[in-house]
Amino acid sequence: MDVRSLGKNPRLLLMALLLLAILLPWLPMGGSTNYILRILTTAILYMILAMGLNIVPGFTGLLDLGYVGFYGIGAYTSGLLAIHYDMSLWLILPLAAINGAIWGILLGAPTLRLTGDYFAIVTFGFSELVVLVIRNELWLTRGPMGLPGISPPAIFGHPLTRDWEFYYLILILLLIVLVVVTRLQDSRVGRAWFAIREDETAAQCCGVNLIRYKVTAFAISASIGAMAGAFYAKWFKFIHPDMFKFWESILILCLIVFGGMGSIVGTMLGALILIPLSEVLRAVLPQGLFSARYLIYGLVLVLMMRWRPEGLIPFEWAQARKALLSKERLGL
Amino acid sequence: MKPVLKATRLSKSFGGLSALKEVTLEAESGRIVGIIGPNGAGKTTLFNCLSGLYHPTQGQILFLDRAIVPEVPEAKAKHIRWCALIFLVLGLTWLPLFWSFLLPNALFKVELIVAGIFILVMRLLVVRGLARRQMWAWSLMFLFLLSDLFFAAWWLSVPASQLHLAGTPIRLGHIPWLWSIGAGPLGIYLMIQLSMPRVRQIYGFRPSPDAICQMGMARTFQNIRLFYNLSVLDNVKIGCHPRMDANVLGSLLRTRTQREEEALTEKKALEWLRFVGLEKRAVDLAGTLAYGEQRRLEIARALASEPTLLLLDEPAAGMNPRESSRLVQLILDIRGRGITVLMIEHDMRVMMSLADYIYVLDYGRLIAEGTPDEIRNNPRVIEAYLGGSIAHVDA
Amino acid sequence: MVNGITLGGVYALIAVGYTMVYGVIQLINFAHGEIYMLGAFLAYTMVTVFGLPFLAAFVITLLICSCFGIILDFIAYRPLRKAPRLAALITAIGMSIFLQNLALMIWGSQIKAYPRDVLPEIFFQAAWNLGDVTLSWLQVFILLITVISMAILHIVIHRTRIGTAMRAVSQDKTTAALMGIGVNRVISFTFAVGSAMGAMAGILVGLYYNAIFPTMGYIAGIKAFAAAVLGGIGSVPGAMLGGGVLGIAEVMGAGYISSEYRDGISYAVMIAVILFKPSGLIGRPIGEKA
Repeated sequence: MDVRSLGKNPRLLLMALLLLAILLPWLPMGGSTNYILRILTTAILYMILAMGLNIVPGFTGLLDLGYVGFYGIGAYTSGLLAIHYDMSLWLILPLAAINGAIWGILLGAPTLRLTGDYFAIVTFGFSELVVLVIRNELWLTRGPMGLPGISPPAIFGHPLTRDWEFYYLILILLLIVLVVVTRLQDSRVGRAWFAIREDETAAQCCGVNLIRYKVTAFAISASIGAMAGAFYAKWFKFIHPDMFKFWESILILCLIVFGGMGSIVGTMLGALILIPLSEVLRAVLPQGLFSARYLIYGLVLVLMMRWRPEGLIPFEWAQARKALLSKERLGL
Repeated sequence: MKPVLKATRLSKSFGGLSALKEVTLEAESGRIVGIIGPNGAGKTTLFNCLSGLYHPTQGQILFLDRAIVPEVPEAKAKHIRWCALIFLVLGLTWLPLFWSFLLPNALFKVELIVAGIFILVMRLLVVRGLARRQMWAWSLMFLFLLSDLFFAAWWLSVPASQLHLAGTPIRLGHIPWLWSIGAGPLGIYLMIQLSMPRVRQIYGFRPSPDAICQMGMARTFQNIRLFYNLSVLDNVKIGCHPRMDANVLGSLLRTRTQREEEALTEKKALEWLRFVGLEKRAVDLAGTLAYGEQRRLEIARALASEPTLLLLDEPAAGMNPRESSRLVQLILDIRGRGITVLMIEHDMRVMMSLADYIYVLDYGRLIAEGTPDEIRNNPRVIEAYLGGSIAHVDA
Repeated sequence: MVNGITLGGVYALIAVGYTMVYGVIQLINFAHGEIYMLGAFLAYTMVTVFGLPFLAAFVITLLICSCFGIILDFIAYRPLRKAPRLAALITAIGMSIFLQNLALMIWGSQIKAYPRDVLPEIFFQAAWNLGDVTLSWLQVFILLITVISMAILHIVIHRTRIGTAMRAVSQDKTTAALMGIGVNRVISFTFAVGSAMGAMAGILVGLYYNAIFPTMGYIAGIKAFAAAVLGGIGSVPGAMLGGGVLGIAEVMGAGYISSEYRDGISYAVMIAVILFKPSGLIGRPIGEKA
């Protein structure tokens, strides 16, 4: 496939997609508008999660298996702040992000000098510890009883209750995260990350401090995950330790592996395809089989690695396209 | 004039295999210094020691007068080991503690004794690790010291009758006092010693390769290590990394300084590409370049960090005569910019026409050094190469 | 304490499987925990559904799981021998998830227990009393099997040709191939043995705690991995030692510190070892960079 023909005019494409996304709730879809909106909101939530996770394996090449831990931290931060202090979402979001970043740094600093296998296991251990803590520290989190009654977000006092309201909210969140990730990617920081991904040793000899950049990536990834969690708590209005099990990390990993680790468009596409797909599965399969749907995700991982490890939209394509687009600017 | 680089009696062994043995060399500013030797002679190992990827087992490296690999003060290391051993022995004064566990009203006797023995064994291993200058031993020793002092402080502050450990009442008697007088100061002294930078260097805390690059040493690799999935221009921009400032916040907010720096970096990167003759390929992915072009790109990337010393590992490998003469001109241009070059090369034509001074390695040892003419006629060198390429090169 | 040793023995069995596979292909076989789980389930099914006597079920399950290990290697790992580590790691995780859910689908999520009458009665009787410590025949059985398997393994690794081949491959694959060793065959063999040990552990645990459920695999797997790391990944005696230590530590910790964080102890130990001494207690020195 000729990369050059893709996205000749990215701005136009972007505008069109944005327009479509905004107009979506108003399009006639029979009676199932709300249902579709909910699915899309979920999909976009996972897009955000995927973009957050993408930073670590996609940009720096390390496998983070404990991403759900940050998601959970964000959700509980948000839930607890909402319940005890009746804080508004707009304040919660940055706080959750900061909390996530702090934990990212705490976890990352000692562990990021390990090789890939060990790092994967340690992150996995971390997410399990998070779930254990959530489950057992009843005084803080009410453990297995869950945290119900989280108030919905409000704009100027008007509480958001309709599906399309949440849809727009998550869309805005998506745009923010998109801007963050894109800006980081196209900067000195992003290049350092890519260098680490491509060849750590060579990156070091080019002056890239591995620990610093890995921890930064990890912290930012964590804060995005935490923000997503914060939104989730306010949207679902009820959180429970079982929602943050290891499986979620696998699902998110699956999204980025499928879509293409390292390419932003790829990860978004992965989420857009696989999440609604799981909804289809939910409708089609009987209950027993559905709880085993992770079977399919596991299979996807294995098959993708076997036959198309770069994913739908490989990292090289994204890089090639980016380079090509700058051709005129460089006067070549 | 002081040399840019000075390596003294550098040795590196991997387990039983010794790759470098007492190699001493120096590179004077503005010169092109060559390193030759048969395959497996340790040349790339030498480069890896210089750029900080390996820690030499012995020796010292001074770069621009800063010690990348410092001289290890043997006396100091020995001193620390003895202190640690004495501390360990003094720690045995806690043994009576374990007697408490054998008392009839103690719970979990067996387990605590097992734990006690385990910790004792760990401490012995740590002292052994200290002898071998291992970093993990340093960390664990520090931890043990901290925990010992912590426990001592705790047990000093609680009245003797109320001491409990895991549900077992402990009769410590006067042990905490003995400890605080005897081993306490030693423990504190050891902790201070361990935190000192020179001591930390003994246990492996050395400048990392990126710090060394920041100091002004850049390198290329024997088997080209480019960032293949990134564009040619990006590769060079990464080379500029150490000379840039932008951090996460600046990149996120796209402040004016950041944007200007990005534009400047792009200009510089293009200039370096022009210098090596690759500007036409700036937007192609590095993996699509021909072999010779890839080598030149690697050199451009190394140059982008504005180094004082450039380490080139077999830059002419796999090049045809025309490409190698272009390379020779390129390296001369590099020297023209005031950069010192240290070069490993097998192609004698290239080496002889470029080098001001040559070091010859064989089996990890330095067997000869001198000007190209001296080397050409050196019998030991010819022997090492089995009468190979040197004899066939015309002046 | 005795519980600790028993548990330790089981962890050691699983850990040995991990360590052997890591030794030859430098990959952490995440699906190993699943084989352990499968062992438990298969034995259970054979005893309850097919009505086989326990010992027969034991042996047959071992055979099946060995083959399964070989098949696993063949379809999932062998095609990726040359691929970057990340890809192999993801595949391993994918397989693990796949198998877990497969078990979930086949056997359902409820905890299974052996009904009392299908097991040899003797298991439940006390064999020995030492003060306030009782040793049941079941525990004796487990300990015996563990020790015997370790002994057999040790003999195989150090005294037989295939064992020497295994050690050669784990040190330097290319040279071993050049010396005429069928590397793939050795790897398959390693998988077979490792899986057998893992399955054995699974059957024993299913018996001992009398609880079998699909997610038991990955929990035990992580702990066994911690044990393997503690002992030094790549070293079989290390795995044995690590298993023992971890088993004892976990039981003690659960008893004295807190039983909810029981699993957390393994994680904590593992993290501590990885941070401070990645080569474990016995293992070869592992550089943090390749």
